[in-house]
Amino acid sequence: MTLLGLDGLRVEIGGRVILREVTLAVAAGEAVGLVGESGSGKSMTVRSVLRMLPAGSRVTGSITVGGLDVNRLDSAGLRRMRSRDVAMVFQDPRATVNPVRTIGDFLTEVLRDQGISRVEANRRAVALLTDVGVDHVERRMHQRPHELSGGLLQRVVIAAALATEPKLILADEPTTALDVTTQEEVVAILHEQRRKRGTALLFISHDLELAAAVCDRIAVMYAGEIVEILPANRLHEDARHPYTQALLRSRPGAVNPGSRLETIPGTPQSAADAPAGCVFADRCPHAADHCREVRPVLSPVDSGLAACHLLPNGVPHVA
Amino acid sequence: MLLEVRDLRKVFKGGFVAVDGVSFDLPYGGSLAVVGESGSGKTTCARIVTGLEKATSGTVLVDRGAVQMVFQDPYQSLDRRQTVASCLDEVLAHHTDLPKVKRRSRMGELLELVGLDERHAPVLPRALSGGQRQRVAIARALAANPRLLVLDEAVAALDVSIQAQILNLLVDARAATGIAYLFITHDLSVVRHVCEDVVVMSRGRVVESGKVEQVLSEPAHAYTRKLIASVPRPGWVPARGVSRAG
Repeated sequence: MTLLGLDGLRVEIGGRVILREVTLAVAAGEAVGLVGESGSGKSMTVRSVLRMLPAGSRVTGSITVGGLDVNRLDSAGLRRMRSRDVAMVFQDPRATVNPVRTIGDFLTEVLRDQGISRVEANRRAVALLTDVGVDHVERRMHQRPHELSGGLLQRVVIAAALATEPKLILADEPTTALDVTTQEEVVAILHEQRRKRGTALLFISHDLELAAAVCDRIAVMYAGEIVEILPANRLHEDARHPYTQALLRSRPGAVNPGSRLETIPGTPQSAADAPAGCVFADRCPHAADHCREVRPVLSPVDSGLAACHLLPNGVPHVA
Repeated sequence: MLLEVRDLRKVFKGGFVAVDGVSFDLPYGGSLAVVGESGSGKTTCARIVTGLEKATSGTVLVDRGAVQMVFQDPYQSLDRRQTVASCLDEVLAHHTDLPKVKRRSRMGELLELVGLDERHAPVLPRALSGGQRQRVAIARALAANPRLLVLDEAVAALDVSIQAQILNLLVDARAATGIAYLFITHDLSVVRHVCEDVVVMSRGRVVESGKVEQVLSEPAHAYTRKLIASVPRPGWVPARGVSRAG
């Protein structure tokens, strides 16, 4: 069953196209990784779900959460969705947690708001912190954010995201600011807890391997469009879109040390700068004339979907 | 040796020991990675080598005039009111005795080496992309004809396709000029790609060092093993270790 449905989502800010056409469905309990380079529209896509776009944005297309049209929610409905049904985890935990209040206050605020008693809210907060692997829980409840490391604070944010038992967690580069060993712990905890609770996840990352490790499916974004969607465990074998292939091959580690990395000519484009047809046509090594003029639609190839005129036969497999 | 670091120790005000008895060597034309996480002391080591920070004790043997540094964020390290041409010319005028006409042609060579061209010369940093700015920062560093380039997380903030371009450029520049690199990074796949030797740091100390191939394929120290194991890769399953105090 579709929990989050984006259908032909288009966002313009001040007349400038940010998202061209994003169509994606996340099923209940499913984890989808939204990956791409900076400016591809990943963050704008998740912000649209919570109606957190900058003033002056024009949104067309539909966004549904649990069957409700997000753009038609009144302020009470929007508040309910943001505080209960959908939780958000941002990159920088220090910008998320109020620096002058205690961790306990931060965690119990939303529970108290729902009419839960102070004692019960405290009990739940302690249980949540334990679940996400925070030590010395009773002491942590009385500490303030500056007393905790970034990794520990991000666990607190994840605990807060789980507190209202949401159906969907939106996580925007939740471990990018963390050290790599801390990142491993934090994504492991996020992965474990959301599976245990059956919570769906939309996981934004620039790191394909990281997203593939914690998600069921991967959606690759470029210039305000999703160009390929495929099962995470088939990422390396079945990536067919030239952009996905190029991303996989440009990672150092993808080739032998000392040999040249594959590069994508030019620089990442925004939705406003990309060609009218296929968004990747200007930088694609395989592009033909009609690629620049005619928009390809996401179509089945191998185990996934890819938006490319040259598929299924015109682009060779990576492997 | 181009660079000899012996028993380096840095104690900051308040008694925090950032670097605690660190030694390493870098031969002429070599490429050495100093790897570690935040708080490991790797950046402090780099800043001492370039003279931006003073060691509490220990010695650094290097020809100071021959060292240049590239930082993580080129937008902060470039003067945002200075054009690319003026930025490069300033360094050439200061570090070489080339007359103005020769400086102009040298600038063209430098721009070409980093994958830019004359069209970028009259431009201000804000008109460039992040990758282009980092190319300018590298061209500026190379303009001084350094023997040693210290790169402090110089590719960390770049998108992967741009990072690939810059890494190729660094490999090319080293092949063309014989320059040596001291790479300060947390990214082991970058280390594997561009470095020959590696020093692994944790909490101010060197826990392991050696040839990159050796250290990454047969890590001897538990911390190195943990670092390698936590890099996402095909088939990787993130593991939740024993929770530690923060």
